[in-house]
Amino acid sequence: MNASRIHGIVLSGVGGQGVLSLAQILLEALRRSGLHALQSEIHGMSQRGGSVHAQVCYAEGPLSSPIIDEGCADLLIALEPLEALRYVSMLRVSGALVVSEEPQTDMEGYPPLDDIYAALKAVPGAHLVDTEDLARRLNHRQAGGMVLLGMASRFLPVNDGIWREVITQRFESKGARVTEKNLEAFEAGRGLIKEPVGV
Amino acid sequence: MADSTLALGVEAVGCAAFDAGIKGAFGYPGTPSTEGFEFVEALIHQAGDGRAAQWAANEKVAYDLGMGMSYAGHRTLVTMKHVGLNVALDAYANSALTGVRGGLVLLVADDPGMHSSQNEQDSRRLAEFAWLPCLEPSTVQECYDLTFRAFELSETLQVPVMLRIVTRLAHCRAALVRRETLAPTGLGVAPKASIQDWVLIPANARRRYVDLLAKQPRLKAEAATLNHLVPGTGRRGVALAGMGRAYFGQLALEHPALAALPRLEIAAYPVDPALEQAFLAQVDEVVVFEEDYPVIEERLGLRGTAKVHGRLDGALPRTGELSPRLLKDALGLKLPDGKAAARLDLPIRAPRFCDGCGHVDAYEAMQEALAKVGAPEARVFGDIGCYTLAAQEPMAAIHAVVEMGASISMAVGAALAGETPSVAVIGDSTFGHSGLPALLTAADAGVNVTVVILDNRVVGMTGQQPSQALDQVERMVLGMGIPEAQVQVLLPVPKQHEANVAAMEAALRHPGPSVVVFRRECIQSIRRGVLKDHDRQERERCVSEACS
Repeated sequence: MNASRIHGIVLSGVGGQGVLSLAQILLEALRRSGLHALQSEIHGMSQRGGSVHAQVCYAEGPLSSPIIDEGCADLLIALEPLEALRYVSMLRVSGALVVSEEPQTDMEGYPPLDDIYAALKAVPGAHLVDTEDLARRLNHRQAGGMVLLGMASRFLPVNDGIWREVITQRFESKGARVTEKNLEAFEAGRGLIKEPVGV
Repeated sequence: MADSTLALGVEAVGCAAFDAGIKGAFGYPGTPSTEGFEFVEALIHQAGDGRAAQWAANEKVAYDLGMGMSYAGHRTLVTMKHVGLNVALDAYANSALTGVRGGLVLLVADDPGMHSSQNEQDSRRLAEFAWLPCLEPSTVQECYDLTFRAFELSETLQVPVMLRIVTRLAHCRAALVRRETLAPTGLGVAPKASIQDWVLIPANARRRYVDLLAKQPRLKAEAATLNHLVPGTGRRGVALAGMGRAYFGQLALEHPALAALPRLEIAAYPVDPALEQAFLAQVDEVVVFEEDYPVIEERLGLRGTAKVHGRLDGALPRTGELSPRLLKDALGLKLPDGKAAARLDLPIRAPRFCDGCGHVDAYEAMQEALAKVGAPEARVFGDIGCYTLAAQEPMAAIHAVVEMGASISMAVGAALAGETPSVAVIGDSTFGHSGLPALLTAADAGVNVTVVILDNRVVGMTGQQPSQALDQVERMVLGMGIPEAQVQVLLPVPKQHEANVAAMEAALRHPGPSVVVFRRECIQSIRRGVLKDHDRQERERCVSEACS
C-alpha cells in the first residue's frame, strides 16, 4: 500500500445481503493488521430492500473522515451488479471492482441484465463472479459475500492468518460447520484472483 | 490497537455513559440514535448491578424519567433523535430552570441529509434556545471522551448537557479506548433547601430563569476549554465543528498547505464571544464548515469584521450533509479524475415492505373498503413507521405524514371540517408514543373518524424493539372512550381478506369514531424471535390462570 495516503473501500448491495457485515469484517481485519481504519454505514430502512452502502477507510496513520470522495476509492465490493454500477465513479482510475453477477431484480425498471454486465465488463479492473453458480458448487446458499471478500482480499494488506481469524470469530456463534463453509467460500474467492495486487 | 473496543459513534456515547457511572438510561428509538441506547442497555444487563435501561413510551417520557433519576441523585443518559427532541422539548427547556442533581446527559442524534427523517433541524439551536450547554464531538473517540466530560459538566454547572452528533458520526465505526469504569453515582435525593428550585410555579421559575442566565458566563468559560483557536499563516481561515472538523483534519493531512490556515475549532457551545473575536482579528476571510444550520457562520458574520463563507453565501449548499467533496470544492482543491461512470440509466432502488409483511394485507383491505364505500380517492392520514412506505407508488395508500401521532389528530381535524370518510393509519408503537391523547380527543369529538392501528407488536422500523403498547392496544382504545362495538381486531392475512374488507367497510360507514386494529407480528421480529420468550411466558401464565 501507499504509506502516504488514505485508502478507501466502497461496499454496495441491497438491504439484507450483508453489506454491513462484510464492512465490519474488513474493518476488523485491517485493524488487526496494524492499520488505522474507520467504517461508515448508511442504513435505517436498509432491512427493507433498499440500496445499502458502506465505506471503509484505512491508513498507516490516524484518520478522522469515515468517508471518501468520488474518484478516490481503491476498491469497490458489490454484492449486486446494478448496485455496483451506481458506485463505479467512486473508484480512482487504478481502482479495482469485485462484483457478484447475481441480480436482485425485485424493483421497478431493472435494466436488461446484458446491458448491466456489458457496462461492468467495460470498467477496467473489474472482476465479475457468478456467485450463484459458485454457491451451488460449494453447497452453501449464502456463499456470495465471502467469495467476494476472498477476491477483495487480494487487493488488501491483510495476511491469510488474520482473514481466517476474523472470519472464524464472526461465525463462531453459529457453529463449526457454518464457520468452515464460510472459510471455504473465502478461499474459493481468493482462488479466483491468482496473484496479490497492490492498490 | 486491536485490544480496544470497536464501536459506532453513537455506541461510544452509550459506552461512556455506562463507564461514567449512570444509574439508568432512557430513550425512544429513532435512527440514528437507537444503537446508543442498545449498547448501554446491553452493558447494563451484563453488569446486573441494579441499573435501569428502559425504552420509554416517547421522548418526553424518557426525558422525564431521566429527570426523576437525576432528582434522586444519580447520573442518567437520555437518548433520542433530533425530531424526538421536539417531543421532549417541554421537559428539556424547563429542565434548564430546575437544573439537575445527578448528571444528566441528553444524547441527540441529528440527521443532516435526512437519511431517515422528516426534517434536518439542528439541535444546537434548541440547546441555545434552552440556554443549555451542548458538546459536539467529531470522532468516535471524542464521542466517548466528550460524553464523560458532559457528565462532569452537568454536575459542575448543575444543568443538563446536550451531546449532539450527526448520522455520519453516529454510524461511523472505529476503535475506542475506554476509561476506568466508575461505580454508579449516588448523590442522594435533591436536598430540602432546593425544593423550590424544582417547583416551576411562576415565582420560582422567574428566580430560576435569572439564575440560569447568570450561569451563562460560566457555561461559556467551561465550553471555552473545549474550543480552540489554532493560529496559522495568511488572512484566510476556517471555522470547524463536528464532521466539518473531522473532514478538514483529514484533508489537511493530504494537503499540508491547509494545516497552516488559522482555525477556530468548536466542540462546545455556547461559544465565548472573546474567542470568536480573537479569531476574527486574525483573518479577513473565513470558510465555516459545520453540519446542518449556519450557527457558527451567523455568529461570525454578525461581527462584520471578516467576509464569512458557508451555507448562507452559497459557498456550501444550504441543505444536506457536509462531505469531504464539499469541503474540497469550497476550498478550491482539485478533485482527482475517477473511473468513468456507466452510461446506463440506473433506477432508484427504494425500500419496500418485507415479503409477507402484514401491513400490506391491511392496506389492501383498507383500500378495497374505501372503494366499496364510494371513496377510492379519499385522502388518508398516515404516520411515522415502516408503514409509511405505503406512501410510495404504486400503493400510494397514505397521503399525509408529518410527525409522530399526527395521523389521528389530523383526521379528527379533517372530520370536524366535514371530510368523510376521515381515516388515520398509525402503528402500535407510534400510538403509544403520541396517538393516545389524540384518540382521547377523537372519542370526545364524536366525529366520523376511522383509526386504523397497524399493530405489529414491535417498533418495526428501528430494529424491532418491544412496543410499550404490546398486546394492550384494544384495552387502551376502550379506555380512551371508544365504544366496544366500534373496536375490531383483525388478522391481516390473505385468507382473511374478504372478512377484513367487510369489517373495514363497517367502520368507515359508522357515523362516529371507530378503531380497527390489524394485528400480526412484524416479519423481521418473528425471524429474530424477539417476542418468543415473552409469548411463552404469557402462554404459561395463561395456562396457570386458566384464562381463555
